[in-house]
Amino acid sequence: MAVCLQPAGYRDTLSAEGQQTLEERAMAGSSIGRRKIVQAALYGGTGLALSGALSGAWAAEQVSFADIGVGDPGGDWSRYTKATGGDTVNLVSIGNAPSAILNVLIAGGGTKTYDLINIVGGMQKPLVENGLIEPIDTARLPNWAKDSYIAQYLKPGTPGFDFIGYDGKIYGVPTVLQGDSFAYLPEATGPLDSYGALFDAKWKGYVALEDNYTTAGQKTALYLKASKQASIGDPANLTPAEMKTVVDFLIAKKKEGQFRTIWSSFEQAVNLIVSKEVKVIDCWEPMVFVAKSKGVDAVYAAPKEGYLLWAMAAYLVKNPGRSPARTKAAYALLDFMLGGWYGATITDLRGYMTNPEAPAYARQHPGEFPAAKAERIAAIDAGVKKKFQQGGTWQQRWPTAVDAYEAEWARFKAA
Amino acid sequence: MGALQSGVSRAHERVAVWTRHGLLALPIAFVAVFLVAPLLFSIAIGFWQRVGFRVQPAFRLDAYAEFFGSVRLLVLERGLIVAAEATAIGLLLAYPVAYFLVFRVTRSAARVVLALFTLPFLVNYIIRTFSWSWLLSRTGPVNKALATTGLTHAPVDWLLYSDFAVLLGLVTSTMPFMIFPIYLALMGLDRRLLEASWTLGASPARSFLRVTLPLSLSGVFAALVFGFTGAFGDSAVPIILGGPGYQLMGNAITSTLDVLNYPLSAAMSSVVVAVMLLLLLCWYLAFDLQSFLGKMLRWRF
Amino acid sequence: MTRNPLAQALLWFVLALILAVLYLPLLPPFLASVGVGGPEGGDGFTWRWYASLGDNPLLAGAIASSLAAALITAVAAPFLGLLAAMAVRELKAPRVILLLVLLPLFIPGVSLGLAIALFLRELDLAPALWSIALVHILWALPFATLIILTAMASFDPVYLEAAYLSGAGRFRAFREIELPLIRPGILGAASFSMILSFNETIRTSLVQGPLNTVQTYIWSTYLQVGLSPALYALMSLLVLLTVLLLALSLAAGRRS
Repeated sequence: MAVCLQPAGYRDTLSAEGQQTLEERAMAGSSIGRRKIVQAALYGGTGLALSGALSGAWAAEQVSFADIGVGDPGGDWSRYTKATGGDTVNLVSIGNAPSAILNVLIAGGGTKTYDLINIVGGMQKPLVENGLIEPIDTARLPNWAKDSYIAQYLKPGTPGFDFIGYDGKIYGVPTVLQGDSFAYLPEATGPLDSYGALFDAKWKGYVALEDNYTTAGQKTALYLKASKQASIGDPANLTPAEMKTVVDFLIAKKKEGQFRTIWSSFEQAVNLIVSKEVKVIDCWEPMVFVAKSKGVDAVYAAPKEGYLLWAMAAYLVKNPGRSPARTKAAYALLDFMLGGWYGATITDLRGYMTNPEAPAYARQHPGEFPAAKAERIAAIDAGVKKKFQQGGTWQQRWPTAVDAYEAEWARFKAA
Repeated sequence: MGALQSGVSRAHERVAVWTRHGLLALPIAFVAVFLVAPLLFSIAIGFWQRVGFRVQPAFRLDAYAEFFGSVRLLVLERGLIVAAEATAIGLLLAYPVAYFLVFRVTRSAARVVLALFTLPFLVNYIIRTFSWSWLLSRTGPVNKALATTGLTHAPVDWLLYSDFAVLLGLVTSTMPFMIFPIYLALMGLDRRLLEASWTLGASPARSFLRVTLPLSLSGVFAALVFGFTGAFGDSAVPIILGGPGYQLMGNAITSTLDVLNYPLSAAMSSVVVAVMLLLLLCWYLAFDLQSFLGKMLRWRF
Repeated sequence: MTRNPLAQALLWFVLALILAVLYLPLLPPFLASVGVGGPEGGDGFTWRWYASLGDNPLLAGAIASSLAAALITAVAAPFLGLLAAMAVRELKAPRVILLLVLLPLFIPGVSLGLAIALFLRELDLAPALWSIALVHILWALPFATLIILTAMASFDPVYLEAAYLSGAGRFRAFREIELPLIRPGILGAASFSMILSFNETIRTSLVQGPLNTVQTYIWSTYLQVGLSPALYALMSLLVLLTVLLLALSLAAGRRS
């Protein structure tokens, strides 16, 4: 414990690893996770032994990977470790709000602590301009070229590129692709096909919105523009005046009692659907999958205004002091995340589309992915591809007038 | 020889006194270094200027103007009101419970009950608060129970996503913290003072008001601090149990940090700290040191 | 004073009612952990979530960090709180010292976490278990101090004076006369500190560095991917363990 209480010399990756091993050995008394603790200690111990034997000529690296939750393959990084010959992954779960992500990197020694960060893309502007991430050399990623989704959906010059690149350079490796709309309970509402359902007085008091001005705000803008209730230029990038119009509309609806609540977490949204607390809800598709698995008939709508498309990306944290060996291990992890097994696992666990290798891998490895799972993975992949085909607007995570967005949204919430 | 010895022992005494003072100053130093310094720094940022994503040292009141001139001020007002309500309700529950445990119950039974009050807090407060949102939902067990007893014909909407739910969440998460300090204060009460009051002919109510309550004020002070700061600073209950867009200051500050508006978030935090200090000062003025130092005032060494 | 048995029973009933309301939100997670209900419905009674607790190395690491931080806080915060309470009574500025010690309560959590994180970055100190413990101790210190202060407020220093007159040294007098009387306060401060550490999420999330704590892990998964019933199982185990410990200590107390 004394080792941990002192500020770690984090340039020396070995001491960080040894620290963790010591910590784990000290805590090995707890029966919970003893097996995994011993395993992790063995990995660390193997690393230490190897490095000792080879006099530091080759040592196992531990990549620190900050993730908002989606990128965790159930704790199983064994295939990565096998592929790299000993490198391990230390996954740190962080909150998904921009404040949590930015502040954990800006403050808290984040750029020196984390090597990779896996978040919803589109935030490159604040990340790059604060010197928090560095461009990725795609030549070091063999799986990059194999990922046809990148070429298809995230081409430079298209809005999709905004989720992985900035200023013409590529910063992020896309780990998840998805299209958002809203969900509804068909037994209560019948088929719905427009974001207007969220504002339909028929479902007053039985609607929930997400507490996010880039998703809920953009969907409202899409609806207002399509239904010609407001003159809006680009729903993805509203001017302060346009945002004010959108929020005025939302405030009017809120005062009428249209919204049951404004949700801020996955768990909350799932609960709202499963307990049938609301009939129409602006949410993400995995929530519908969970609801269906609990026997609730919920449908993810195909709105005529189009889906809201987005991607999650893994970024390389800017750390000039990182050792070349660690950077190599980080690139290996990025490449691993573009691979078939990882994509299939994440699609199965989280319900998002990952990369083209995933469905094929699942089908070809019935030992790891039983037939039912493989089918599910293929279905999710096909479903999201269909959304992209149907088209939609790319979500804008950091609009030009983001300060106005935040101020207006605060006004909506306080009304 | 005697003079040398007494000189040495006086030096020893001085060293002992200085060691003792140094030891006592340890927590003050701890707070000063790790809290006061960062706090002063963050107060300063409230006056700085935003340049793109960075902040530049300056002296501008923009952030404060933005806070006081916008709807965010309503969040502060609501926070103060709801925290006061939750604290009042909590006190009205905690004091009788503590009184009952001290005067009407055996010591060992009281200790068991106190432990029972703390057990629920082992469960993470997010899980507990979220659990309430399921319990109070339209199709949840509370509504179902109300329906089977025939008291209601339709699900009660105001149980959840309402001020009621927020108060319920805040009271259940702060009230148990308020019981223990009042319990301690009442335990330390000299029963003979109460007996003297009865012997002199005072009614139980009068004895309580004139003897028990004033002597337990140190516990009440601690309870009020725990209750008010706990309720005011809660960031989970408002977004899990509150109506559409319900938020307290913690949520509002996080929201400004989402766009890296450091001066505004620093200004809002500074306002919160100032308001809390003001409330503490009010207590200092209203009640003398006796109220929370009690017999400690007799310290003479 | 006569004790009306009916009134006594009624008061016990009201107390039980209050406790029932406090325990109500513990039921759904427990039911969900065994698969029979709660927020997302269940597939049927099962122990698999309890069995799965050992499978996730991230959770194992998080439990270790949380336990370590809680133990450190439970020892350090009451110790510092005791010193602070003594400082309030002996150094001649009780109001100022109390104000300083109460400061961590007045600062909003996210601001406190951010300020300390920035401060540590300026000092070029890397966050690790020590920074998590630091934040927990800072947060628990006001609670511990106030509780011990309340306990001391009923302790008459005249007993110590008597001890000094009898020739006892300061520390001996404190240890043998005062400590036994304020011990419930110190133990209460320790359990408060432990509980506060177990629930501390926001401040920790900014100084956690390469570690996970159970609270930050719960917060992260709650926000983005949903809570796993394994976490409910963990919470239920924790409560059960504590109940057992309490029962054991009660039994031991009764025997001695």
